[in-house]
Amino acid sequence: MQKVLTVCPYCGCGCGLYLHVENGRITGVSPSRSHPVNTGSLCVKGWNSYEFVQHPERLRYPMIREKGILRRATWQEALQKVAEGINRVKAAYGAHSIGVLSSAKCTNEENYLMMKFARGVIGTNNVDHCARLCHSSTVGGLARAFGSGAMTNSISEIKEARVLFVIGSNTMEQHPMIAMHMLDAVRKGTTLVVADPRQTQIARLAHLHLRHRCGTDVALLLGIMNVIVTEGLVDKEFVRRRTENFDAFESLLDKYPPSVAESITGVRAADIRKAARIYASEKRSMLFYSMGITQHITGTDNVRACADLVMLTGHIGLPMTGLNPLRGQNNVQGACDMGALPEFYSGYQPVKDPKARRKFQRAWRRKLPERPGLTLMEMMDGGVRAMYIMGENPAISDPDATHVRDALKKLDFLVVQDIFQTETTEYADVILPAASFAEKDGTFTNTERRVQLLRKAVDPPGEAKADWQIICELSELMGYPMHYRGSYEIMEEIALLTPSYGGILHHRLEEGFGIQWPCPNSNHPGTPYLHRKKFARGLGSFITVDYIPPAELPDEKYPFLLTTGRIYFHYHTGTMTRRTSVIEREEPLCFVEINREDAKRLGIRDSFPVRVKSRRGEIEVSARITDRVPEGTVFIPFHFREAVCNILTNPALDPIAKIPEFKVCAVALEAV
Amino acid sequence: MAGEWILDKNHLSYWLRQMRNEMELIAPLREREDIVFKSVEKIHEIVLDCPASIPSPKEFLTPQFEPMLKKTDKIIDLRDNSKRVVFGVRSCDISALRLLDRFYLNGFKDPYYEARRKNTLFISIVCNVPDNTCFCIGLGTGPFLKEGFDIQLYDLGDRYFVQCGSKEARKWCSRYSFLMRRPGKADFEDQYEVELSSQAMFRKRISLEYAQQMISEDKLSDGFWQGVTERCFECGGCVYVCPLCTCYTVFDRAYDNETERIRVWDTCFFKGFTRLAGNILPAEQRILRTKRWFYHKLLYYPETLGGFGCVGCGRCTITCPGRIDMATVVLKMKDEQK
Ligand code: SF4
Ligand code: SF4
Repeated sequence: MQKVLTVCPYCGCGCGLYLHVENGRITGVSPSRSHPVNTGSLCVKGWNSYEFVQHPERLRYPMIREKGILRRATWQEALQKVAEGINRVKAAYGAHSIGVLSSAKCTNEENYLMMKFARGVIGTNNVDHCARLCHSSTVGGLARAFGSGAMTNSISEIKEARVLFVIGSNTMEQHPMIAMHMLDAVRKGTTLVVADPRQTQIARLAHLHLRHRCGTDVALLLGIMNVIVTEGLVDKEFVRRRTENFDAFESLLDKYPPSVAESITGVRAADIRKAARIYASEKRSMLFYSMGITQHITGTDNVRACADLVMLTGHIGLPMTGLNPLRGQNNVQGACDMGALPEFYSGYQPVKDPKARRKFQRAWRRKLPERPGLTLMEMMDGGVRAMYIMGENPAISDPDATHVRDALKKLDFLVVQDIFQTETTEYADVILPAASFAEKDGTFTNTERRVQLLRKAVDPPGEAKADWQIICELSELMGYPMHYRGSYEIMEEIALLTPSYGGILHHRLEEGFGIQWPCPNSNHPGTPYLHRKKFARGLGSFITVDYIPPAELPDEKYPFLLTTGRIYFHYHTGTMTRRTSVIEREEPLCFVEINREDAKRLGIRDSFPVRVKSRRGEIEVSARITDRVPEGTVFIPFHFREAVCNILTNPALDPIAKIPEFKVCAVALEAV
Repeated sequence: MAGEWILDKNHLSYWLRQMRNEMELIAPLREREDIVFKSVEKIHEIVLDCPASIPSPKEFLTPQFEPMLKKTDKIIDLRDNSKRVVFGVRSCDISALRLLDRFYLNGFKDPYYEARRKNTLFISIVCNVPDNTCFCIGLGTGPFLKEGFDIQLYDLGDRYFVQCGSKEARKWCSRYSFLMRRPGKADFEDQYEVELSSQAMFRKRISLEYAQQMISEDKLSDGFWQGVTERCFECGGCVYVCPLCTCYTVFDRAYDNETERIRVWDTCFFKGFTRLAGNILPAEQRILRTKRWFYHKLLYYPETLGGFGCVGCGRCTITCPGRIDMATVVLKMKDEQK
């Protein structure tokens, strides 16, 4: 029996685990005891992360659609067809009519190659990935405030913090191993404050739970900051030495005394005061947030308000402090770092910057487009005529799913590269079978910027190949040979062109448990916390934000507020977890969480079917009556293809980050 | 006891190499900063004093994912009959086998377990230095055993004191007796010294009898169990790592021309574990499932299998992210009486 140390393929915690292999089959999983994140533990998804890998439904060979029917093809045929398809659309409508979706489930090396392929080979900056739907507001919001949009501190610091303030994160279910560190801290006397409209498990364990209305985060944070200012809890020295634009910002706070914040958010003014005092009066205070902050039309504002809060109190630039966005996917941090974004090359070097462009042009020996590309949502809005999608399932994951499916249907050419057939492959002209996390080498970057080595445990099924190999072969066919002998050679190129990854090479990752970027050279040990002594952009910038209500609020016709998210047992569109026996048995059905009182009023009974309607569509799910959601609010997870809750969600976008408002829309319910 | 030998440490690799000629040799090896059990390439790399492994050695008797049979036009038995020797396991794990054997082999015999059990030779090492999570000491399941083992080794510094507890074990010793000698008085003294000093090193003493009594006399409030439940992550980790937990589920996988029946580890912490037709969930409330695990280990195991469902290996203490493992919860009972 062999045991191969690798990284969990699910969430951004990036737990270290062993895959057990016997005679070419994976027979189990176990946690790494010395890993700094999971220290001998795993969540249920990690413990069961092996089962989908050798599932019989894995894609085993390339497929081509002919006259509407998929047939098996050879790699040569399939890649030829892809090259032709892309070239045809490019010749007819130009490179900018092609869109590329990279993947937060793929390795850094693969994301880097995908963006190189889009920019260098196709010649377009239209490359994006699902980070658009989760943390694009973080990337944009923090870039302007701090100059770098990533979790500032490290997971292992949590245990030593004095105050943990968690807003918009269902940490125990969605980042379980981070929650483990939080609960350990609480056991040692740390104060935990949670702001969440739902009564999540971590909220129940908190010393103070602020149950604000969905979409009122800015008002809540401004209220808290108002208290901090009026009660003299501002770290004036820090504000003076390390930040700018404070005065303009401060004047706005007058509009949000706790009483006003109370009327908007529904949180008692006394609790707002209490939260402000708890957070501001300790030095070792860490702030965490996740989708509850980012997935709003005011996502960027929410993030900026969080940034303002940590600057106001000087809780940044030291261990056990900071602003800590919890990234969802195992490698969403890496996919962003690698420049699978329409406006950035790897390491957030702007495509608009001529110097950066020249650098990449020289290294790649290709002329590169100047104009930033389209975002994922813009591509789906008819911006492109052909798409190359790697490891994503927008037909379920994107808002207003019906619209997305129409968009996919209308494409002249679609190629999808994945490990299973998905709802998106239904529209593909060519399907390319890819290797899963257990079948290739590479690196993932977890939410605390830790770049870790992924190691091959078994061979891919059938003729499937690693994504990076597929991209290389396709690129060669399209006249641009890439010549990489292994993913470590791609990493070398990344290090060369990406200052924050400058010293990160595979052979360095073979000892210990990864390196946290920025790591500028090969002697650098990595950086556990950011913005030490000064912000990445120099001075931290206060940004004035104002409260704006969500785009669609309940009204007479659609009286309930729907908020969406994930549940503990499943992951995203369920491609992997729903093929895992124990996990799927645990939660086989989509449900809607309804408050007890609402259910009584509408005559809805537990586990009975309910129809949920919005202006965009309707679905039928089973009712789960609970106190987790407040009255007037319902919650539906987005994992289930049988009841795609994104048929209901509102595609209204944050104007800056272009992130859709998954967390608020108006719906009506009726018992079926 | 028959079958006691002294083995010079320098001869250990030779002995293990001979075993490896006939069996797969599995032993603790270093992997970065971890130590894990796996097939041994280089015998000199074996870690001779390793902390409790995760998961427990039950992974070699009932693997997490175990193909049982395959159906094509006929049924093919996929039972694993390969021979293994697992070196370096702990006493508590060996004592867990006693109950596992009763569970899987009394009455109805589980053929998959039986095949692996028959073909696996365990070499356990007495724990000279227990981990600080260990609490076998109060339970009679370690740090050394009087019976029930195949081969038990005492580390006496430059040599091992070898005890054989099974026929297979005696075979391996007598066949290689030229590597060994019979123990003398000094060896017995040193062996006893190890037993004494090891016992003195435990940091934790947990009385499962006390916990059993608290439960059977209904001295714990629902509030107590609610508090435990609130911290449960439903990861299943305690069940997966425990040498005595046996929850599993069976499912079929259809391939193009064949169907495979597979058994995987499951856990009683999941509500679906006891789901009935019509989506009836007898233990939907989480508190019921928390209680079930503790009740099962502390009340029902003794009733049905004749011993506690815990050998004090401390693995759940290491793996539980909510810190509601056996040791922690039992210790907490002291201050939480109703
Ligand atoms: S916490 Fe995240 S990374 Fe860790 S095992 Fe669970 S899903 Fe995997
Ligand atoms: S209950 Fe915990 S300490 Fe007891 S045997 Fe199982 S894993 Fe070990």
